[in-house]
Amino acid sequence: MKPFGLTDAHKPNVKPYAVVQLRQDNKLGTLFNMVGFQTKLKHSEQVRIFRTIPGLADAEFARLGGLHRNTFLNSPKLLDETLRLKADQRLRFAGQITGCEGYVESAAIGLLAGRFAAAERLGERPSLPPPTTAFGALLGHITGGHIETIDAGARSFQPMNVNFGLFPLLGRKTARGAKKQALSARALADLDAWIGGTMHDAAE
Amino acid sequence: MTQSRRPIHVIGGGLAGSEAAWQIARRGVPVVLHEMRPVRSTAVHKTAGFAELVCSNSFRSDDAQGSAIGLLHAEMRRLSSLVMGAADDHKLPAGGALAVDRDGFSAAIGAALEREPLIEIQREEIFEPAPDWDTVIIATGPLTSEPLAETIRSLSGEAALAFFDAIAPIVHRDSIDFDIAWFQSRYDKAGPGGSGADYINCPLTRDQYDIFVDAVLSGEKIAFREFETDTPYFDGCLPIEIMAER
Repeated sequence: MKPFGLTDAHKPNVKPYAVVQLRQDNKLGTLFNMVGFQTKLKHSEQVRIFRTIPGLADAEFARLGGLHRNTFLNSPKLLDETLRLKADQRLRFAGQITGCEGYVESAAIGLLAGRFAAAERLGERPSLPPPTTAFGALLGHITGGHIETIDAGARSFQPMNVNFGLFPLLGRKTARGAKKQALSARALADLDAWIGGTMHDAAE
Repeated sequence: MTQSRRPIHVIGGGLAGSEAAWQIARRGVPVVLHEMRPVRSTAVHKTAGFAELVCSNSFRSDDAQGSAIGLLHAEMRRLSSLVMGAADDHKLPAGGALAVDRDGFSAAIGAALEREPLIEIQREEIFEPAPDWDTVIIATGPLTSEPLAETIRSLSGEAALAFFDAIAPIVHRDSIDFDIAWFQSRYDKAGPGGSGADYINCPLTRDQYDIFVDAVLSGEKIAFREFETDTPYFDGCLPIEIMAER
């Protein structure tokens, strides 16, 4: 948290005593991780304490910190877009071992892996869900949306629950409080179109 | 055996593996589902059931309009998810969240998998995929057994597989106050793929810093669970509360 090499852009003549840094976590640029802040503080404590940091008074957290026994791959680097290990394409990965977090997220990646594997077995090209859907956003994050950092320390790809920060921007302004609904409506419409499309492809 | 009759092998009968096996069978492709329990158990599982919920019994918010997880629930239902179907059939009152009766849920999934003729269940530990398995899904989860983890590591490289996580909080960018915070990299240096302004910086005065450190030290922590107590602290991954102590 040392301030070396940094100048407060709002108060250039006042050197901060310490600085908390956040680094871009996803290609979309909607999520930033608090560098070096892995912690076993309880979640409610994290929200309370981290919101005292200047600039973060109204921070909304897509993910809170933790340290647990876990087993997971550096998926963005190792897996292709259909969850196959680039080094050995007969192997697909699914569930928490890919770095998703949560019961339903695990089942969702399992669902996709199953569909992709079956499609290949049947001689079809696997069809990816649109990135505007929760399926697509989660899949994209695991297989490539994360920005890897090269600093020393904890590996930068860490488990993540699905959250709206993984979704592509709407590209238009919405009324206050309507953003999530708009993202959701877009997701379900795009999912339905994709389902219609894949049924058609599979029948050919 | 015709190409489409050769089974796909799924290793791991948790949430991901159970769902994968189900989806494969729905497409008319045979699948062999390998699950090591009860032949070999883990430190946290209590049953040998499929899709056992080892922590909470909640699938979190079911509000598809207001939350990404609720949206994912809705999307899963539209794709005939086995897991969501069983969850819906065994749900418990939990306000806006979807909570389930863990035993009924797991039993329903097990029954569906066992009943499906295209799914063959093998209760055995897999150390490595057999050479003649041409399509495999590895869904062995956070407690992947050591021999298989070692196989995966040998295929993918030394640093590729982590055995603990070190999760830092993630903030939505649009909730940060840029009247206080600013973009800059140290010494304005551009890193690989960066512009010299890759970091968001939040300044603290000395007083704010001292108060912050006290809060971190005195805040309530979650203890490591018994089976995790030998999880090593790697120097680069010390929790902030430990760094604050040192």
